[in-house]
Amino acid sequence: MKIPSELLAKIDEAISHYPVSQRSASLPLLHLWQEHFGHVSNEAITWIAQKLDLQPINILELVTFYPMFRREPAGRTHIRVCRTLSCSMAGSYQLRDEIAKAAGIDIKQWQADFYGNPHGDAEKSHSPEKLTGHAVHNSGHGSPVAVSADGQYSIEFVECLASCGSAPVVMVNDCFKENVKIAEAASLLSLQRSDATLPKVKTPHPREKRVVFANIDREGWTNDIECYLKAGGYAELRKALGMKPEEIVNEVKTSGLRGRGGAGFPTGVKWGFIKHGGPKPTYLICNADESEPGTFKDRYIIHQDPHQLLEGMIISCFAVGAKLAYLYIRGEFPEGAQILERALAEARSRGFLGKNILGSGFDCEIYVHRGAGAYICGEETGLIESLEGKRAYPRIKPPYFPAVLGLYQCPTIVNNVETLCDVKHILRMGGAEYAKIGRPNNTGTRILCVSGDVQKPGYYEVEVGSLTMGELIHEVCGGLKPGRSLKAVIPGGSSAKVLRAGEKFKLKDREITLEDIPMDFDTLAACGSMAGSGGVIVMDDSRDMVETLNNINEFYAHESCGQCTPCREGSLWMKKITDRMLAGGGVSNDPKVLKNVADNIAGKTICAFGEACSWPTQSFLAKFGDEFSARSTKDTPPPMPPEYTSEELASKDHIPAIPAPRNPGRDTMAEAATR
Amino acid sequence: MSTAPAAPVPMVNVQIDGVWLQFPKGTRLIDACGQAQKFIPRYCYHPKLSTPGNCRMCLVEMGMPKMGPDRQPVLGADGRPEIAWIPRAQISCAQDVSEGMAVRTDSPMVQECRKGVMEFLLINHPLDCPICDQAGECRLQEFSVEYGNSSSRFLERKVKKPKSVELGPRVTLDAERCVLCSRCIRFMKEVAKDDVLGFVDRGSFSTIACHPERTLDSNYSLNTVDICPVGALTSTDFRFKMRVWFLKETKTIDINDGLGSNITVGTRENKIYRITPRENNDVNGCWLPDSHRLNFKFIADPARLTTPQVKGQPVDWRSALSITAELLKAYPSQAIAMIASARMTNEELFLCSQIAKTLQLGDRVDILPRTGEPDGILIPADRNPNTTGARLFQVAAPQPGARLPSIADRVRSGSIKVLICLEDATKCGLTPEELAASKCTVIAIDILPNATTRLATVLLPGSGWVEKRGSMLNLNDRLQRLNRALTAPGEARDDWEILRDLLLALGGTQNPATIESLFQWMASIHPEFSGMSLSKIGDLGSPISSMAALPANAAQS
Repeated sequence: MKIPSELLAKIDEAISHYPVSQRSASLPLLHLWQEHFGHVSNEAITWIAQKLDLQPINILELVTFYPMFRREPAGRTHIRVCRTLSCSMAGSYQLRDEIAKAAGIDIKQWQADFYGNPHGDAEKSHSPEKLTGHAVHNSGHGSPVAVSADGQYSIEFVECLASCGSAPVVMVNDCFKENVKIAEAASLLSLQRSDATLPKVKTPHPREKRVVFANIDREGWTNDIECYLKAGGYAELRKALGMKPEEIVNEVKTSGLRGRGGAGFPTGVKWGFIKHGGPKPTYLICNADESEPGTFKDRYIIHQDPHQLLEGMIISCFAVGAKLAYLYIRGEFPEGAQILERALAEARSRGFLGKNILGSGFDCEIYVHRGAGAYICGEETGLIESLEGKRAYPRIKPPYFPAVLGLYQCPTIVNNVETLCDVKHILRMGGAEYAKIGRPNNTGTRILCVSGDVQKPGYYEVEVGSLTMGELIHEVCGGLKPGRSLKAVIPGGSSAKVLRAGEKFKLKDREITLEDIPMDFDTLAACGSMAGSGGVIVMDDSRDMVETLNNINEFYAHESCGQCTPCREGSLWMKKITDRMLAGGGVSNDPKVLKNVADNIAGKTICAFGEACSWPTQSFLAKFGDEFSARSTKDTPPPMPPEYTSEELASKDHIPAIPAPRNPGRDTMAEAATR
Repeated sequence: MSTAPAAPVPMVNVQIDGVWLQFPKGTRLIDACGQAQKFIPRYCYHPKLSTPGNCRMCLVEMGMPKMGPDRQPVLGADGRPEIAWIPRAQISCAQDVSEGMAVRTDSPMVQECRKGVMEFLLINHPLDCPICDQAGECRLQEFSVEYGNSSSRFLERKVKKPKSVELGPRVTLDAERCVLCSRCIRFMKEVAKDDVLGFVDRGSFSTIACHPERTLDSNYSLNTVDICPVGALTSTDFRFKMRVWFLKETKTIDINDGLGSNITVGTRENKIYRITPRENNDVNGCWLPDSHRLNFKFIADPARLTTPQVKGQPVDWRSALSITAELLKAYPSQAIAMIASARMTNEELFLCSQIAKTLQLGDRVDILPRTGEPDGILIPADRNPNTTGARLFQVAAPQPGARLPSIADRVRSGSIKVLICLEDATKCGLTPEELAASKCTVIAIDILPNATTRLATVLLPGSGWVEKRGSMLNLNDRLQRLNRALTAPGEARDDWEILRDLLLALGGTQNPATIESLFQWMASIHPEFSGMSLSKIGDLGSPISSMAALPANAAQS
């Protein structure tokens, strides 16, 4: 195996970013390898394992876990089409087919070849031997890649690309394209320029209060350090370094800032868990693995205002006493990772990072660590495992609370991108002043990410609780599409419980409608849902709720890490039930079973993914039960072919496996299940 | 080792199903419940491995003492703390007991959890119990009966996974049966120190696998089969051989090395089907090397010696033994030597020592030492199971085997004319040709033919280790018990009976009728065993504390 010296140099550089454990360099090395050679071959697995002094199985475990790694070559132009809710609502299934057509890929034929049947449904395949060939290994952990005959193009249906406000979105190699029109499908094949970094100007809505997003889509704003410094950047860092770390922690406590990643845990309290002066080092991790469907705020900060994030991070590192921090960015943000790398280099060269920052004696280093397409890495302990170079299996709590036993079993703080940016502003304003924004216990601003059936989807930074749901949809987002009425809203990312239009919510002192709900943590919780990550997905009366839930179920079934039983088995089961309902095979007991399956997952799992995957099912069934009943009318389920044909059982000593066959989408389902 | 008594472990009060009990601090909650006779079902938890908490079968309802404003527990009418129950079920495998902790192991919430988890584990399981080797000792079956549903609600296609995968030379995987508890992965990494297994794929499609360039070929691979709670990992040797419920299980010990791992021998109709480790934390933990557990085929070898023979002719036992005695009496002591075996029991070695005494063999008795590289896990350098016993009864040189060269020399020179062989003499410094040329009269007690038995004037068929009762002393002076799992074939006899009868024929006066009375005789002479009996040894053996210090043995480690 000939490894070019530039690649070797990059590999050694990557390893040097992980002074504690070189196993952590597994993912970076796999990325480097795939970028250079196009895919991760068996040779690569062995080579990387050897390089990092690991067993080859340690690397194979990763390659088969993280969907971005391919074990077979893709096309020279590789196109990723987002399959998840907001994009599919905007037509991504059709888009995928159109792009395939333009690329000369016969998707139906490919499915037939890949799955051994024309329905593209692996689990109904009669011919597992067909799956042992080229195509299967191509599938990585289960996102099959269709390659055109000439090897020029390949298409992959992927889960949420975190740009739901500009759905449907597509990635062509590393270039990103938003608001793709079906008619543009062919032009995508030669896409050269990315929308992620394209200069845009968007005037804030009058109801907005821009703090974190002050510079996003601002005229004349660039993401380099000169521009940032001109606007007074890194002044708060200077200020922070003149304070005592405890003072900063206290300011953050006073500010009432709650984590913006989804759980809404008070940031200052989290920081307070860190015991200073212990024998172990403290680490800080920025969770930039933005991946909750419906959420797309961090991408703008990373792409357009990276120094704001870095400044917030360095201040936070100083506050919690971390000398080493990692910025865990999702794999699907390759440009974001490059921008951050450049920003880090700029900050280092100006003395904002590295040894003796601004002469304060404080040393701090930050490295970018790329994920590789696994939603579960957004869970903080899963992220830590991933950063340690393992499968992102969340850890049990107790005993593995990150503040005590986090990265490398050391105290670790994991904060969301938006949260870390807020830290900078808290320092600027002072905690007490910041706490005046928003409402008590719901302080500050919140970036609401609106997608789905509104006229003007996108991000809106508002004071927490200053807007009601109705104002957000009808005023700020320009209302629904003409002639449509509101049906439902998922208020905090796809795992948040759905709220139905016309529903009455009982609060302590009053009863309100969906439109009256103020967008804050506490009221949304009181209404039985959550503010979550701020991803608001709006659905109008054209939406089929079974179809919607099925799309969500597919996401969670695909993203379940598979570590603990209820989520591993239940998430796929729920998806299969909604698959069957959509295909016309729903039986009268299905809604009951579906609900019970969700009940058996929620609260029984290692991490909050259990709730994330069961809350949609629980709430959709509770709120739109009639739609599910209408799809569940059969007395008996449709007949199924045997799992193995009698010929297979008789003729084979060995029945080959289907490595994680993944149903590419419900559009291919119907015929199979109803015949 | 410190002689000071260990500091007492503090005890904590834990309420289990309404009853307050005390447990030493550091006890796992799941184990505490087990000790309180409230068994908590589990798949992934194994006390010897790390705790991933992934199977979710051990969920219980847990509470902590309610704290008052003074941060002290609020006490109820009974003076015990009031409990604040946690609304969410908690796993009991990853939690140590703490003061005032309370659990409900069988509340409606817990029952609901178990039912749910059982259903999830079974939806993609092939339910092929009729042809599954694990059937009868499968946790899925057991917990299905206790906690599962009577019918399935799963109408979908099951996930297909690899079947009949040879993970290694001795272990076969059926991934569809796997519950992904990761016990095997953790065992290989943490105990066998060979990180060869892992998960591939994700979600419901996750599968146990080896990297294609590696196989599960560790000498401890079959332990993964033992700890696999379901039928996913099966022993290729045992696969499809026998339904486990037909197996008669006999507790005995392994004889492949000086550790004397505790084992269970599974037999049916006088045939061994498998050997599995038996937990003994003072000896082998829960583990057993593959090399040891598969070393039983020789017991059923068709070539087994089944009839006493004199000069190749079958004779009855009485004649064989009287001829042996006559032979021995016909020569002076200086012309007689004995090669005893450290594979024999204490009782047999004791009788050997009595015979040696009667015949005044002096230093013309030794054992065949067997040594190898220690594996750093269980296997020590000494590959004989009872070197300690042989040395205690002085049928071995202080450095076992040290006298063999001189015995061999004297056989070659013709000064030793009778050789009592309880081992193959041709492995003790004599070639078969030399032994044949020496015209030495060989009296062999053995179970299988070898170069020595073929030259034997008198051949006395003995019993294999699973065919006899008795005791052995392991390298750590632990007295352990062998039990009879099989009867010896044909006319083969228990070795102690052969030796007893030989001793009687040589003029001995003691005639123990049972191995128990033999043990008592032995104990009366060797104070190390005083107060002991075979039954008192117990299934887990007992350390012999009064053991006189034996000279250092290079083979020990």
